[in-house]
Amino acid sequence: MTATEALYVYGVVPEATHPGLFADVEGIAGGRSVRLVEAKGVAAIVSPVPLGDFEEEALEQHLRDPAWLEEKVRAHDRVLAAAVGRVTVLPLRFGSIYRGEDHVRTMLAERDELADDLVRLDGLEELGVKALLDTSVLRGRLESARGADVAAGSGRAYMLRKGFERELDAEVRTFAATCADESHARLAAASVAARANPTQAPEVAGGDMILNGAYLVRFDAEEKLRSAVAELAARYGDDGVSYELTGPWPPYNFVEEGET
Amino acid sequence: MSTPARRMGAMPGRREPTQLADVLERVLDKGIVIAGDIQVNLLDIELLTIRIRLLIASADKAREMGIDWWQGDPFLARGQKRGELEDRLNRLERAAGINGDTPSDDGD
Repeated sequence: MTATEALYVYGVVPEATHPGLFADVEGIAGGRSVRLVEAKGVAAIVSPVPLGDFEEEALEQHLRDPAWLEEKVRAHDRVLAAAVGRVTVLPLRFGSIYRGEDHVRTMLAERDELADDLVRLDGLEELGVKALLDTSVLRGRLESARGADVAAGSGRAYMLRKGFERELDAEVRTFAATCADESHARLAAASVAARANPTQAPEVAGGDMILNGAYLVRFDAEEKLRSAVAELAARYGDDGVSYELTGPWPPYNFVEEGET
Repeated sequence: MSTPARRMGAMPGRREPTQLADVLERVLDKGIVIAGDIQVNLLDIELLTIRIRLLIASADKAREMGIDWWQGDPFLARGQKRGELEDRLNRLERAAGINGDTPSDDGD
């Protein structure tokens, strides 16, 4: 490393981790330069970054460039993904940068909680499950279940129709809340720990998201969560609910306990 | 930047291509927070995190304010001063019904 470089830290793994896990993955500044820096039984996943891009002022500018940020955020995740499911990975939040290996070692040595977290999360990874509700499908079902008591025609029928629409809206909301709760409970039962995060906006999610969950599972128990997802899809599919499983992720949602 | 296939890294087929929002809400908003040697980015990352949270949770509100989800977000326009960023953030948060307190520069 030269004086024009710094070290970007992606996450922390057990000391015994084979550095070859990262041999094929591209670092945040490009190149196959991801390596491990060890201290006190743990190892930081790092790669060199040019200070020209990652020093205070440059970084501040870059953070406002969506294309730059997207590339770097994806790179951060890609590096950690290379190890997920093989070793226990503690993900760091984006942007931990050190001026040298000795500084990284000092950080590792000062933080006993890293080793504790590696024990607590040993053999665990995170899977994401998002549930989207196609309200037109659900409304169609609810409507036909109600039968033909609101046939179109007179002004009175119009008023009935308005009332009917309001009732349908309420039913859709009730269904969405119940389905989200029951889905989360079912998925939580198939995992070690669970967290329901705020749902994403329709423009982002591509539909009406009713559940944005994160589930902590053993490396070898992914199938248990997958079959819970399949079971839910079978139960609620006809109501317009679809499920998407993401990951495996490092346990991003489970490293800062007690934080909301 | 690598191709999507390359993004799968060392574990081909292990992972579906990930949507940006899912990556952002984890990499920027979750994970262990450790202040590195390069400190000035902390407030920026904090601002960024709040902004991303806002955009992901209420893109419709952001759109009403003339701010598009992710690309084309004038909030991210190069060269804006931090004060302007904070003002805009506060306006957005109020519009979205989120606590509009100023993320202060306390300690500076």
